[in-house]
Amino acid sequence: MFQLTATPASALADEPVHIRVTGLSPLQIVTLTASLKDEKGYVYQSKAFYKANEVGELDLMEASSIGGDYVGVHPMGLFWSLKPEKVFRRLIKQDVMNSPFYVTLNLYDSVYLQVSTTDQPRASQMVQRWFSGPGMQRVQIREGRVRGALFLPPGEGPFPGIVDLFGGRGGLVEFRASLLATHGFAVLALAYFLYEDLPKTLEEIDLEYFEEAANWLLVHPKIQKPGIGVISVSKGVEIALAMACFMKQVVATICINGPNAIYEFPLRYKDLVITPIPSFMERVQMDVLGAMRLRHYKGDARDELNRKSVLPIEKAQGAILFIVGDGDECLNSREYAEQALDQLRSHGRNNGRMLVYPGAGHLIEPPYTPLCYASPYRFNSGILLWGGDPVAHAAAQEHSWGEIQKFFREHLTQTRSKL
Amino acid sequence: MIQLTATPASTSTLTDEPVHIRATGLRPSQIVIFQATLEDEKGNLFHSQAYYKASEVGEVDLDHAPSLGGDYIGVHPMGLFWSLKPENFLTKLMKRDVMTSPFLVQIKLYDSNLPLAQIAATDPKVSVTLERWYRAPGVTRIQVQEGHLRGALFLPPGEGRFPGVIDLFADIGGLIEYRASLLASHGFAALALAYCDYEDLPLHPEKIELEYFEEAVNFLLRHPKVLGPGVGIVSISKGAEIGLSMAIHLKQVIATVLINGPNFVFSTPQVYRGQISQPLSFSPQLVSINALGLAQFQYCFEEARSKASETFFLPIEKAQGHFLFIVGEDDKSINSKAYAEQATEQLRRNGKDNWTLLSYPGAGHMLEPPYSPLCCASKLSKLHLFMQWGGEVTLHAAAQEHSWKEIQKFLRKRLIPVVTSQL
Repeated sequence: MFQLTATPASALADEPVHIRVTGLSPLQIVTLTASLKDEKGYVYQSKAFYKANEVGELDLMEASSIGGDYVGVHPMGLFWSLKPEKVFRRLIKQDVMNSPFYVTLNLYDSVYLQVSTTDQPRASQMVQRWFSGPGMQRVQIREGRVRGALFLPPGEGPFPGIVDLFGGRGGLVEFRASLLATHGFAVLALAYFLYEDLPKTLEEIDLEYFEEAANWLLVHPKIQKPGIGVISVSKGVEIALAMACFMKQVVATICINGPNAIYEFPLRYKDLVITPIPSFMERVQMDVLGAMRLRHYKGDARDELNRKSVLPIEKAQGAILFIVGDGDECLNSREYAEQALDQLRSHGRNNGRMLVYPGAGHLIEPPYTPLCYASPYRFNSGILLWGGDPVAHAAAQEHSWGEIQKFFREHLTQTRSKL
Repeated sequence: MIQLTATPASTSTLTDEPVHIRATGLRPSQIVIFQATLEDEKGNLFHSQAYYKASEVGEVDLDHAPSLGGDYIGVHPMGLFWSLKPENFLTKLMKRDVMTSPFLVQIKLYDSNLPLAQIAATDPKVSVTLERWYRAPGVTRIQVQEGHLRGALFLPPGEGRFPGVIDLFADIGGLIEYRASLLASHGFAALALAYCDYEDLPLHPEKIELEYFEEAVNFLLRHPKVLGPGVGIVSISKGAEIGLSMAIHLKQVIATVLINGPNFVFSTPQVYRGQISQPLSFSPQLVSINALGLAQFQYCFEEARSKASETFFLPIEKAQGHFLFIVGEDDKSINSKAYAEQATEQLRRNGKDNWTLLSYPGAGHMLEPPYSPLCCASKLSKLHLFMQWGGEVTLHAAAQEHSWKEIQKFLRKRLIPVVTSQL
């Protein structure tokens, strides 16, 4: 009997979906497509070609795609290989509480390189991908200078607290924080520019703003004491590492593809000013499509002249985990992480660790997030290259997400047992 | 005072000739941005930029100085030309009117501290405009409507006869003239021959009739300005499939350049004197789509190729003339390297040595005359997909420069009889 099933039909966006087809002709070649429309109306699509087995069945947990957006056995390939119809757009869920992404899965009886609106699929299933769970709370935060959104798991708590920092795009990106909260963490997605009454441009990093946020989180009745974690990506890593260095209440820090030194603008913390390492505009490289590869354009953090801009990571008391995409075209992420770990070692510290993912790009996000290989950057109207090989990047996202939760569980919940 | 010179600055510089660009009067070790801008005949803008450091005497000589960054790095005197990129995603640079107008390329100089995004709105420190022509002075163009033939014949200036070449592009339709006009600028009588979607030619022919191309060969050889007794072919992609068949069946074809072509028929079948050559079947499910949604088709014939009997492969050993295979190893649309290797292997097996194979690592499918910007993918009009052509910018440019010289050398050698003096 012919059937296309996708289970679970409604799940968290970081949970896998099992796709199966039965009732096909033996060894029949079919086209499977996925599509979704984001909140701005942009359409994302993916396709893969599969061959049914001798009894006319297809199980994406076992079957190998023979072509399309990915090749090989990738049960979630249709999700992470989704591509925008309008090239260079990045898929980011805006409303994480009230609506899911709706992903339509279609099966066509033969090979369709391109599906037109008049082509009828043999079967269709819609799955919902949610960024929050039942009972979760989102609290808009406007306390003192702090701006962001706090995601609380259901129940009384207290929960391990985490500050979530994104990078140079500014605004407030919430989906990673809300997904982490579904795993039992209280997460503050913290904005620091281009959001509400925060500055429109980033001209310096005022670490006292982030200290205010960390302290506010710690006094919250539903947050475990005495320490919190920080998760950060890209530019956010400079801030997170600085927090780890100077605030002992930060006991667990995750740094995804970011520098161990201050770049672009100075960092201020009380009397301390750390000046940035200069960048060399002339070292920018355009790839064949004109997207800018910034990987080589930042000054060398190992250069003696730049010593004062390197963050004093040996002062950090908590644990630090570096997550590195070796295919990062925007930053020399591996270099930065290695230098930071060298610095810890040379001071007799062993509280740092790194996970390097070959082929993963700059934007390592929760699992099944489609790879954004390049996208426009606010400050100039150009396109920035983030890099990443789709298959390797997807695997890195899946693996690192588990490691992120393990790391926070290990270093945050231990604090409770010290009572 | 800052000065920017480009030589030759004459108004008839051919687009396949290099230009020597120099800037003087800069501060010692000053870092500057060179930008090139071009507007095509449809108003599409193309840009390229590169960062250079002036010498201790405040000069930048693009023949010797390395670019530090931008659209290319290293010493590339013509880098600003071949790294031009369209403002509109994936627009290909293509000259339509080759006779009456050049492309105008503006070379501009800026301070390096200017953010790239502001360049368009800022006046350059100094600039120079160059004309890039697709025909030399005195080249004539004759619209061809003889019998069934549709195309344009380009003749070099002057008296006498010139070696005849038929220029064939892929089956995208229309008439592409710029390679033929450039060949005429280098002394060849070049016939740009259309075969579909041009004037009264069918939009999508059901079969390719080789008699049409035989008519073209005879037309060329009959022409009073064409040197006989044989003709040459320059062909790419589907055009190279046709060129190969012409070389096999028509003994007047004595020198055939095959650029990134198959050694079998694909998509449309060929017919000659009642004999039909069937195409190899295409497996679209073997397409591979990259991170940006660009589709690579080069393995879509592999399934059929591995199972096909010998009759599917064109009998290249029957050809009496000479072959020059030009292969872009990074061709992502067809498996050019494998097909050329199989064809030359077939020649070898039959004891023939009438071929040369030039294989260029990093070069893609669209090998054009030198300094043409790399087009790495195009929208396929029949499907809403982007087809990737392949090629790494710098290596592709080097391959275009080298292969163009080799193509002319090969055609001259095979088409112009050597006059031996007898003492």
